[in-house]
Amino acid sequence: MTPTIKVNQLSKTYQVPEREGGFGAAVRGFFNRKYKDVKAVQQVDFKIEQGEVVGFLGPNGAGKTTTLKMLSGLLHPTSGTADVLGFTPWELKTEYLRSMTLVMGQRNRLSWDIPAADSFLLNQAIYRIPDDEYKETYKELDELLELEPLMKKPVRNLSLGERMKCEIAVGLLHRPKVLFLDEPTIGLDITGQARIREFLQEYNKRTGATIILTSHYMADVTALCERIIIIHHGQLKYDGGINDLSKKIAPFKLIGVLMENADEHDLSKYGEVVENMEDADKKFIQVKADEVTRITSRLLADLPIRDITIADPPIEDVIEQAFNA
Amino acid sequence: MFLIFKRLWQVNWAEQWQYRANLLMYLLYWLVSPIIYLAVWTSIANANGDVKGFTANDFVTYYMVLLICDQVTSNIIIHTFAYKIQDGSLSGELIKPIHPMLTNALVNNVAFKVLTMIGLTPIWVILFFLFQPDFSGVTFINILIAIPPMLFAFLIGFLFSASITALAFWTTRIYSIHEFYFALILLFSGQFVPLTLMPKVIQDIAQYLPFQLMLYYPIQLILGKLSQAQIIQGYVMTGIWLSVSILLFNWVWREGVKRYSAVGA
Repeated sequence: MTPTIKVNQLSKTYQVPEREGGFGAAVRGFFNRKYKDVKAVQQVDFKIEQGEVVGFLGPNGAGKTTTLKMLSGLLHPTSGTADVLGFTPWELKTEYLRSMTLVMGQRNRLSWDIPAADSFLLNQAIYRIPDDEYKETYKELDELLELEPLMKKPVRNLSLGERMKCEIAVGLLHRPKVLFLDEPTIGLDITGQARIREFLQEYNKRTGATIILTSHYMADVTALCERIIIIHHGQLKYDGGINDLSKKIAPFKLIGVLMENADEHDLSKYGEVVENMEDADKKFIQVKADEVTRITSRLLADLPIRDITIADPPIEDVIEQAFNA
Repeated sequence: MFLIFKRLWQVNWAEQWQYRANLLMYLLYWLVSPIIYLAVWTSIANANGDVKGFTANDFVTYYMVLLICDQVTSNIIIHTFAYKIQDGSLSGELIKPIHPMLTNALVNNVAFKVLTMIGLTPIWVILFFLFQPDFSGVTFINILIAIPPMLFAFLIGFLFSASITALAFWTTRIYSIHEFYFALILLFSGQFVPLTLMPKVIQDIAQYLPFQLMLYYPIQLILGKLSQAQIIQGYVMTGIWLSVSILLFNWVWREGVKRYSAVGA
């Protein structure tokens, strides 16, 4: 069987105008504009079979979204080829657009000023979904995502999470065979995230659809994907099973401590001190996962600790460490 | 396809109603320049008796019809679409299996026009009683044969503006290009002054340009001022310019989409 998605040496280089600040630079830039080439995606190859759920991981600016945009047809690549369901995506053939979906951000298919229900009906017409099929799909989506209470409100009055639910639902009305999901759980609370994950799993099982998703949440990926593709600095760094990946990635935990006079205590003897975390009040150290218990009890015994947290390090850092070394 | 346009209409109609205050302001703004031209030309004609045979009442009659023709043939596509290319919000529409410009944006423009037309009607009636134009040359047949070229002139104007809008795929500074295009319309469409009062050279050029199809040609047609040969020439020019605008728009759009960078989300 031919793979659903086949990507060959796909590359995208953006030309970004570049100039320094200031009036003089602005004038010079008017006559002689300089461009910098930004290689967002470089010679990426992979194949995805029908029914696979694949997670795209990588730090911000790694090229995940650019790849998704090319696969969905929004962007023309600089070089290379892609084949999705037998189509070249960026030719934007009607038949192709009817068999895939791209869910991206929170402002996409829903019209901001009118209730979601009207956007749903518009999409029914655009995708030429017969009435009975539409009702059936809507019922399924409503059961899984609890849409009904949201449908009558203007979209601008929905919360971020509510809007995301509607975006995903409206993107699936036409029962696409291929789903490109860019951060499908962004902005959702834990229950919301779990619900979307369950839903996608169910959809994949029921319809045999092929799904590619990008996410910042490791939990999304571990729950949904058996296969992971890691893109970093525009290059494909890893393509394989999630289990092999966890072996490859050193299992670290992040211990955060809040204490009196934090600056007086040297934490480096307990583990590697991590700087620039979002939570500025706390100090963070990174330790091997199997040493967490030992080091935590030492910290609690040695220092005047008011609060302590143990968490997985952010996915970006893990990838950075695993593939940049 | 019919259902698509019906639902697009429902959505856009509802959307336009959300912005009715904005719409009213736009209507007032849009009424200002023809009314100024009307006032200026009638006072000049009143002072001199006439301007090259155009009496004050001729000007009144001309501009009263112009208000309607302009309402039918003008468009606002650049204001409702260009930003989508620039800020990346076009992405959601580009991957839908319908043409974003020729379906949604077109219907959006029509919805806008119908609503402003409703706003214009009472104003026009007041102006009618105020200025008392001479509509003796207007016949039902004239209006009937003016309707198709007016609708096509709307399409021609829409496609030209859409082509300029699509230049946003290349540059973010399209508004100055559009301003220039607008100046051409002002000069060659017969808005600034009825074309018969223009120098002979400009009249000769204007009759081969698309701009007079938007105002001057339908106005003269409705007022019964054109010979049969002139009417036919107008129909032929409409056909030619419609073809040109379709080809131009298709080419600009196709090449533009290749350069789309889907910025932002």
